Amino acid sequence: MGIQEQYRSEAAALLSSGEVKLVIGFGEGSTADRRRPLFARTPEEAQKFVLDAACIANLSTYLVTEGLLSDGKKVAVFLKPDGIRSVNILISEAQLKPDQVVILGYAIDKAEITALEGRNISDFSLGEEIRSHTPPPHILQEAERIEEMNPAERFEFWKAHFSKCIKCYACRQVCPMCYCRRCIVDVNQPQWVSTSSHTLGNFEWNIVRAFHLAGRCAACGACDRACPVNIPLRLVNYRMGKEVIDAFDYCAGENSSQKPVLASFKQDDPETFIL
Amino acid sequence: MSEPFEPKIVAFVCTYCTYAGADLAGTSRLKYAPNVRIVRLPCTGRISPMFILKALQKGADTVLVSGCHPGDCHFTAGNYHARRRWTVFRALLAFTGIPEERIRFSWVSAAEGAKFAEMINEITEQTRKLGPFTQYQELQKVIETQSTY
Amino acid sequence: MTRILLRNKLDDCIAAWQKAGFSVFAPVRQHEMSSFGEVQKASDMAFDLVLPERTIKDHFFPQTEPLIKYKIGKQQIDSETMTPPDRKRVFFGVRPCDASGLAIDDPLFGWDYKDDYWFRRRDNSVIVTIVCTEADDFCMCTSVKLSPESDKGADVMLRPLANGAGWQVEAVSERGTALLETIPSLLQENSEPTAPVPQVAEKFDLEKVMEWLASKENFESQFWKDISLRCVGCGSCTFLCPTCHCFDIQDEGDTYAGIRRKNWDSCSFSLFTMHTSGHNPRNTQSTRWRQRIMHKFNYYRGKFGVNSCSGCGRCTRQCPVDMGITETLQAISNLPR
Ligand code: SF4
Ligand code: SF4
Ligand code: SF4
Ligand code: SF4
Repeated sequence: MGIQEQYRSEAAALLSSGEVKLVIGFGEGSTADRRRPLFARTPEEAQKFVLDAACIANLSTYLVTEGLLSDGKKVAVFLKPDGIRSVNILISEAQLKPDQVVILGYAIDKAEITALEGRNISDFSLGEEIRSHTPPPHILQEAERIEEMNPAERFEFWKAHFSKCIKCYACRQVCPMCYCRRCIVDVNQPQWVSTSSHTLGNFEWNIVRAFHLAGRCAACGACDRACPVNIPLRLVNYRMGKEVIDAFDYCAGENSSQKPVLASFKQDDPETFIL
Repeated sequence: MSEPFEPKIVAFVCTYCTYAGADLAGTSRLKYAPNVRIVRLPCTGRISPMFILKALQKGADTVLVSGCHPGDCHFTAGNYHARRRWTVFRALLAFTGIPEERIRFSWVSAAEGAKFAEMINEITEQTRKLGPFTQYQELQKVIETQSTY
Repeated sequence: MTRILLRNKLDDCIAAWQKAGFSVFAPVRQHEMSSFGEVQKASDMAFDLVLPERTIKDHFFPQTEPLIKYKIGKQQIDSETMTPPDRKRVFFGVRPCDASGLAIDDPLFGWDYKDDYWFRRRDNSVIVTIVCTEADDFCMCTSVKLSPESDKGADVMLRPLANGAGWQVEAVSERGTALLETIPSLLQENSEPTAPVPQVAEKFDLEKVMEWLASKENFESQFWKDISLRCVGCGSCTFLCPTCHCFDIQDEGDTYAGIRRKNWDSCSFSLFTMHTSGHNPRNTQSTRWRQRIMHKFNYYRGKFGVNSCSGCGRCTRQCPVDMGITETLQAISNLPR
């Protein structure tokens, strides 16, 4: 039995036994190469699930939908390791209760797709895997290219990109970690981030977004894929992830009991830049 | 042609240590550069990165952030948290092209009036050498002009 | 016999228009994005695109636009209106759906109050449409009763020649005729055949959709909740739509001085309808998605007699969760009746 049939029947069983109220997975998309999130509430609907190497979205975003889990019932969700990592982060930030989430895990390696053992978040230990995981070479190369620039060149690089931003907030909406009911950009007393999408306002927004995700990003790439104007958000995320590893030996989402990096400290944290 | 460049420096300081240190510099009649505008906050833990960004946007040439030495925080751990935040924020600004010299961090205690005065002088001189911070100011100018099409 | 413009005359053509006082805009690729941008020569243009990612709307209704500069003094308030300059522009290589988008929005910007910011730009612009030779999976102009060769919103129509050497040229408005008068020597008589227009299949039955939407009992239908479950409420589909036109007025500045701006806004955002009291009449994504569909295929036509969609398909093409107008309208036309 392939993984798709396996998970279809498992999802159907979870629903018919009443263990979960909803299964979030993938269904066919509008074209042959697209998959779209699919929500199944009945065993019949579960038969529509598709699971293959095109299922790259991080569905954990839907777990923090307002009100979804407030009735205490369980939800099952199809997750790749980056999605499981997000769940760890969400639990460590007290946004999810571990026992409300049933994980139907899978991993994609090129065109190969395999099922992951375990159904509860505590069954997965990601530490080793995340730490030893090197980002795709194109990200490393691009990031390196930017590091080699002088500040003025770097500024020009980002200016060209940020000037395209239309403040659609797709990057925020698809991100599982952007769960704030009132994002800082939606706050208008005081208006810290201007609502206008002129280049200066876009710098503000993109810097705030990157900073709010520093040490919290699961590197799923959802924002980068969602951005309709192709701003390389992967690069800032990667740079921030590298910073917290280098400075604090911290890797977000290794487990669900770690303390958020910017809400904790060590007395001997580095401070070479402080006079 | 134009007037000589006078650096504008904005300092965000905590009230318990660095502000008191600045006060001591004043009462001890130590002379330091008049280029600094001090913004007093209860704790370095209250200094949001947004403050730094806004100051740079609104025309600061250098921003200074300063508070109690580690271990001396009036609220026990505000400065430890702040330190982590600055580490990350500094890296982020550098990555997006804001030169690191434009944002300075320090610990100045209530007893260190002399350190404060010296530091302000040094930062002022350094900023004078760097020249005005124009990157954000230019973007601000663009906003204030009407559409070109 | 018709007139044609050869591709190798394009550089001269741009130069002639510039000489006549026009700035020339065309699809370009820049910084990993395709959009309309100013060009100086033919090689700046990106002709291989089915559609640029960004719409032509950006150049008539920019994402953020200063309206008024104000200063509040002790005695008086000074203000200065910041209208765009009169700049003559040619938009070359516009797709029929983008051009139609402009025509669809015209009544909106002019019905009770004539929006100077929009019309100044409209009146100074000449739209040169190129008939499509290629369509992708998302194109749906025919479904909304337009077509890959529609001249709606166009001033000049270009039909690609089958041999790829140029375009058949035809002015379809006075403005278009005037534009062609600036390049008489670059046009030649010819009877080369034109390339075939792509077949774009109709994806839904628009009449059935409109009928369903018009029926009051469907407003609270469970359909809306089910179809919009996966919508994450970003504004991509509205901001990339050539006909979406909602905006917000914001004052940027401090107590004494600032600029009043007109910024894009989107019905996908929960803040769009949020009241000061905290009450939000559209407090779920399903009510917001319903608004988008209803506005486009019911309210707008009620007021202006035309649907607010030109079928470009961008909403589906760019949606991070593969939603879009097409799927929703397909589902509506397939609903049991
Ligand atoms: S998705 Fe892209 S365009 Fe939209 S707000 Fe984010 S960075 Fe800006
Ligand atoms: S339909 Fe897609 S693009 Fe539009 S708001 Fe929803 S998620 Fe965003
Ligand atoms: S609703 Fe979608 S298909 Fe219609 S004009 Fe807008 S973006 Fe294009
Ligand atoms: S669909 Fe929404 S954003 Fe677009 S014009 Fe209508 S109300 Fe405005």
